[in-house]
Amino acid sequence: MSPEIQLAGIHPRSEKLIELTRSYERAKTSWGQVEFQLEQETRELIKLQKSLGFGYLSDGALAWQDQLRPITRSLKGVESGTRYSRWFDTNTFYQKPIVVGEISAGEIDPKNFLQTKLLAGEKNWKITLPGPYTFSQLSENKYYEKYPDLLVDVAVAEREIIKKLRNEGVSLLQLSEPCLVYQPYRETFRDESEVELALKAIRSVVENNPGQFVIQTYFGDASRIFSELLDLPVRGIGIDLFETDVSSLSERTSKTLVLGAVDSRESYVESPQWIADTARKLSEQVDVQDLVFASNSDLKFVPQGVANQKLEALSKASELFKGSR
Amino acid sequence: MSKLFPVQEIGSLAKPKWRTKGLRQPLSAQDLSEAEEWAEKLGIEDFHDRAKNILKTIDDKTRTKEILELSTLYGLRLFETADVDNEGVGGEQQRVEMYEHVIKAVHGMNLLGHVHSFDYKYFNKGVAESKVSRKRPIYAPEFLDVKRYAHRAVKVPITGPYTLVDWSFSGYYIKKQHDSSPKARKNEAKREFLLDIVEQVVRPEIRDLISAGASWIQIDEPAVTTHPEPQEMELFVEAWNETVRGFSCKFSDHTCYPSEIGYKVLAEYAPKLDKCDQLALEFANRDTSRLGVDGSSREGYTDLKHFVDAGFTGEFGLGVAHVHDFTGSVSSDAGHVVGRDLIESPELVRDRLLFATNIVGDPAKIWANPDCGLRTRTWDISLTKLANVAKGAELARETYS
Repeated sequence: MSPEIQLAGIHPRSEKLIELTRSYERAKTSWGQVEFQLEQETRELIKLQKSLGFGYLSDGALAWQDQLRPITRSLKGVESGTRYSRWFDTNTFYQKPIVVGEISAGEIDPKNFLQTKLLAGEKNWKITLPGPYTFSQLSENKYYEKYPDLLVDVAVAEREIIKKLRNEGVSLLQLSEPCLVYQPYRETFRDESEVELALKAIRSVVENNPGQFVIQTYFGDASRIFSELLDLPVRGIGIDLFETDVSSLSERTSKTLVLGAVDSRESYVESPQWIADTARKLSEQVDVQDLVFASNSDLKFVPQGVANQKLEALSKASELFKGSR
Repeated sequence: MSKLFPVQEIGSLAKPKWRTKGLRQPLSAQDLSEAEEWAEKLGIEDFHDRAKNILKTIDDKTRTKEILELSTLYGLRLFETADVDNEGVGGEQQRVEMYEHVIKAVHGMNLLGHVHSFDYKYFNKGVAESKVSRKRPIYAPEFLDVKRYAHRAVKVPITGPYTLVDWSFSGYYIKKQHDSSPKARKNEAKREFLLDIVEQVVRPEIRDLISAGASWIQIDEPAVTTHPEPQEMELFVEAWNETVRGFSCKFSDHTCYPSEIGYKVLAEYAPKLDKCDQLALEFANRDTSRLGVDGSSREGYTDLKHFVDAGFTGEFGLGVAHVHDFTGSVSSDAGHVVGRDLIESPELVRDRLLFATNIVGDPAKIWANPDCGLRTRTWDISLTKLANVAKGAELARETYS
């Protein structure tokens, strides 16, 4: 069987949509026109995923302003503020969630997360959300005296959000946890006790439906915590092939391994042969049975044309991989 | 400069409508009405002669040149009206913006398309498709206009090589690499790309600027605090030192909006930067809007200590005026809010300068400036903010008289 291919986060907007949103911001275009284009592009992206043989379909989160905002807006005790912070070491920014009170799930509108109308009728929906550790790490805490209390409350609230999204039809959830492997905003990198705390929070989010979750790490080397990640009761673990020292991975696993096999921060489109060869070597090394090919993170860091070419490269690589087994 | 707390601009001003439209199409007298209004405010005595020329010019190239020259003149006069001591290049009126303006002048670079920055903001990202080299002078033509019209000292802001490379895709340079590790390939590609940008683009530009008479070049490196890892910071230092090597000129670095630990990391490496006479940094954005020279009132400026502790002995260009939308609270004696703009009072500017002086220990090392370029503010707001910076600097000066 060839490896599945999946989107791993926010897909880039087209030049046309970009121009419309700019024009909307200058009050020269109505929101209706922007929405129309958003829907059209989402349809095109779903069509592209189908044509490339994706098992799970994502709407590409084209309307999301940053990776955290839909969660931020669904939580009580968290304000958006107007402060923007850098998204890791990219040249993109997110509105920093400000924790000002006890966190709990607020009003959750699935439409803020998903183009439910456009996914209706499709069997397998995938959504990507920030994991509880990453969300809490990237927030500014003005309320909790102890960080673990903040993390626990984020996890509990996120469970509520996920429950609602599952009711809408989402069948695969990717929890992105880049902070587990990369923390450029901190003076000291997280230690073992903090990793344990983070994994505990993830466990509490996934415990009722472990088969529906993938934990994705990116922008950093996952090899240092790979065995701990494999212990999580989830369907799959994702690693960034452009940052992870894969030569040091040796654990065998029955879990799905999601390979971030195209680099979302570089326009150079990886050769399908290289992706397939790299995946083959790795699968032999860690004796993994089930592989997924994806980008290492959101493809929003490259223009849409490049992103689509990278998806095509993944699809071809999947075929090459199958042919070589 | 012997005057304490001199005031400098830091980069761009908004581009007036007539400047933007006039580069695309011929203008009407109506289009120039805003320019006429500002001509009076800024004392542009030959406005009517210049306007007549612009209106009668049919040739696009000539009209573009006249408009760019006029908007540069306006920018310079705006800074002079606000009593700014160093007026830069008049608000970078001759540039598209700091990244694209350079990339368009580089052989081997192609603008690939827009990528998301935040909300509905995007930037056109370039890719290296072959070895890079300079197509044409990038800043020198603008500098010649500035030199002709400036009544005060000038400095030339240029986009730094590290930022140009960090904001681009490495493309060609990645394909060249053979290391088996993707990460090693990326790192080596970045270094090679960066050193080519330094040698083939930035150094020739600096050479031209100095030959044309530039005596102060501000190297804008907002990307430097993006990657706080030692390897990246060493790469930045290597590129900086190669950039300035052998040139006789004042150099300063401008960096703004770092990550949470950005200034601490930059501070560690700043003493290694050759010929870096000044660090112009953003601080007002993170400060309170109430008066006081205590640490709690001036919490935004405490990071300065990192630079002093690390042994940086040069000047500081102190961001004392916010340049983005403001939504916080402000005490009545510290300023007032007009729409989305904070107008800092001279007293607030004074307190920021005095607090910074306490940390740095020498008032002669402190310049006053906005956090960054004022391109997102209207000219009215920019003029008011800068005038208050100048008045605040005067108040600070009085403390030492």
